[in-house]
Amino acid sequence: MKPIAAKIPTRRSFSDRLVEYGAQEKDFVVLEADVGHSTYTYLFGEKYPDRYFNLGIAEMGMFSTAAGIASGGRTVVASSYGVFITMRALEAIRSFICYPDLNVKILSSHGGLTAAIDGATHQATEDIANMSTLPNMKVLVPADTAAAAAALEIAMTTPGPVFTRLMRDPLFDIYDKGEKFVIGGSKTVRNGKDVTIACYGDMVFQALEAAEILLQEGIDAEIIDMYSIKPYDQKAILESTVRTGALVVVENHQKKNGLGYELAHLLLSNRKYVPFTSLGIADSFGESGDYYKLLNKFGLSSGHIAEAVRQLKV
Amino acid sequence: MDKDTITLLQSKAREIRSHVLKMVYKAQSGHIGGSFSEADIIATLYYHILKLNPQKPKWDGRDRFVLSKGHACPALYAVLAMKGYYGLEELDTLRQYGSLLQGHPVIKTPGIDMTSGSLGVGFASAVGIALDEKIAKRDDYQVYTILGDGELNEGIVWEAAQTANKYRLNNLVAIVDRNKIQNDGRSDDIMPVEPIDKKFEAFGWKTLKIDGHNMEEIVSALETARNYQEGPVCIIAYTIKGKGVSFMEDDYYWHGKAPNQEQFEQAMKELQGGAA
Repeated sequence: MKPIAAKIPTRRSFSDRLVEYGAQEKDFVVLEADVGHSTYTYLFGEKYPDRYFNLGIAEMGMFSTAAGIASGGRTVVASSYGVFITMRALEAIRSFICYPDLNVKILSSHGGLTAAIDGATHQATEDIANMSTLPNMKVLVPADTAAAAAALEIAMTTPGPVFTRLMRDPLFDIYDKGEKFVIGGSKTVRNGKDVTIACYGDMVFQALEAAEILLQEGIDAEIIDMYSIKPYDQKAILESTVRTGALVVVENHQKKNGLGYELAHLLLSNRKYVPFTSLGIADSFGESGDYYKLLNKFGLSSGHIAEAVRQLKV
Repeated sequence: MDKDTITLLQSKAREIRSHVLKMVYKAQSGHIGGSFSEADIIATLYYHILKLNPQKPKWDGRDRFVLSKGHACPALYAVLAMKGYYGLEELDTLRQYGSLLQGHPVIKTPGIDMTSGSLGVGFASAVGIALDEKIAKRDDYQVYTILGDGELNEGIVWEAAQTANKYRLNNLVAIVDRNKIQNDGRSDDIMPVEPIDKKFEAFGWKTLKIDGHNMEEIVSALETARNYQEGPVCIIAYTIKGKGVSFMEDDYYWHGKAPNQEQFEQAMKELQGGAA
């Protein structure tokens, strides 16, 4: 498992698999809010014009309309950017998709700071908190091309609403094509004995790089890709953390109410009082700029992760 | 027009209003004004227009109905009980813990096709239900929805109106309960919404304007809308908030207030007097 530069972003991979899936499942439809050429759902529209509905720049209406379509039992894939989905349309998703537990599968692009050049208005840095908080919602964050294709499969085969956070730009591929992923699962992408690093999405690659740095210093890090944020693999976290004796959580998201808060709660609730820290956006908005510069500015680079581990091991 | 039908509908509307009054009085919470303004339309839908099977609430061939102005659900809950979707005794549980009858409509309640209550969302969902019939290449049911006039303030209404036009949803009928009053006062003061007909026409809809308390006009408009094949239809029903009880009529106080015992008895006397 050696990371290589990805040829396509996860949003593209998810949509490519969506087009393939359209051939095997013929009843679902795709709704888009005028960003189909960005989310790549237009590929589905080209192949299945009768099953593709672009409802214009109207996210709240689109999700409410998706609820109506889904209320009769038809599965709907609805696509837009994370900020519009998880905030403008939040109430429609909460009360009219999650509350009635409808089969609406959300393609959410531009997750975290990966919408780098688009700036804070287009960077969904609260999406995981907003979506994870909703009863009945399931939340996935694939880290690469293979995981994003698998996420589409999971979303379509898991009953009820499923939110998938995707990335704007191609980053790194970690998994082989055809790798298996399941709802509520995790992947230990690196075995180690000194510290557990739990992460998701683009942070998996940064954590892998951090592990290389740490290895030079004699620290052997275990890395767990938490691609299923809700439900999540509690057993894997507890088992690994008890064994390594320390946990670092890394996420391209607000620290507050993110996975770090959740895992701290998990450890405390299970009386596992181990050294713990989490890295995330510290109560601030993102900004436009080069992705790697943003990772540096917001403390999410491999160097920052390595430093956090050092501090924890002192 | 068949006189017996009109008489029956008038009597059903009075029955709905009586139930609404009792429900809201018992719960000491709920929306009487908007339930009374829409009562004649609800009675006509459920006793003359909608194709339904109360024994099979989810029967696939039924006409769909979404109360987009979900706060006015007491009238809907009343008519659903009268039609036998659940017992009349359920009406006593409105808004209470464990009740089938939530403060705003929920899809789990027998006879409720769609969760609603956040204004504008029900209308857009009705558009989705109508669009789904087209997706399924079916043509065997109609979709009806009632909006409030204040609800037209919501941008989502116009987003969904565009969608209905784009896909020429001739299976969709929207009724605007134009009672001219919303939560904080007179609609025309809070946010001028006229000309409603010209707005919907500009959005590609056919429109009809009626007196929303004249049964002949309600029946005629709903039949015309049901038979119209060219696209979506919006019926603008001019109504009176609190219709049927003199001291409640056209007074925004009665948008969301419950009556005390004296008011309840006076109101019930008026409603029953009207039935005589």
